[in-house]
Amino acid sequence: MNMPIQIHEARVNITWQGQNGDLPDPVSFDATDGDVLQWVTEAVRAGDVPGIHADRRAVFRDFVVDRYPANDARPFNLIQVRPKTPFGG
Amino acid sequence: MLETGVVLSLAGIPLYWHMPTTRTASSLPDSATLWEVIWHHREIVSGFAHSHPGRGLPGPSFEDVTSFAAIEDALGRRLEWPILSVNAMVCCRFAGPHRLDYRRTVVTHEPAWTHELRLRSYPHFEEVLL
Repeated sequence: MNMPIQIHEARVNITWQGQNGDLPDPVSFDATDGDVLQWVTEAVRAGDVPGIHADRRAVFRDFVVDRYPANDARPFNLIQVRPKTPFGG
Repeated sequence: MLETGVVLSLAGIPLYWHMPTTRTASSLPDSATLWEVIWHHREIVSGFAHSHPGRGLPGPSFEDVTSFAAIEDALGRRLEWPILSVNAMVCCRFAGPHRLDYRRTVVTHEPAWTHELRLRSYPHFEEVLL
């Protein structure tokens, strides 16, 4: 069960290997991208994300961190960790 | 020319034309929307094609292959990654053994959607055909 989310915190949602889940504990909404990716990597490797099987080889090197403030439909801040999608260059 | 992309189904049908307002002649920017589309269609998506400027056989950039790998890591399966120029098409697929090892195959019999991708990419494409 997820912890209550305070106004300065955010739920972290992750997609990895066709699975999707949230970190069990909220994090600071203004945590750095590097910190978020490090926490997500550790959690997925340890099998600590409900809905995502433990993957000791998980690497989120080319993933990005999106931040969405709370709104009427979702009364808590959300951080999404997803793959990057730029092409070309 | 403006780089353009298209999400393709397993049946080879375009599912989504990717034409963000910030695209340029040499790049498609990072897009949460594109990832949402791919994730939404994850059961039926076969790949994502995009156009490159110029003529001749296009090759994937480092930006391309790192995005290929990241999206496949998130989906949990491999996709096909066609790249088009004005007059040629290749398809990139993971070949391994390393994470960014993608092999390029020349496509000589182009699917029907390639015409529309070029029309959306190259403003004067119809004139080029004449």
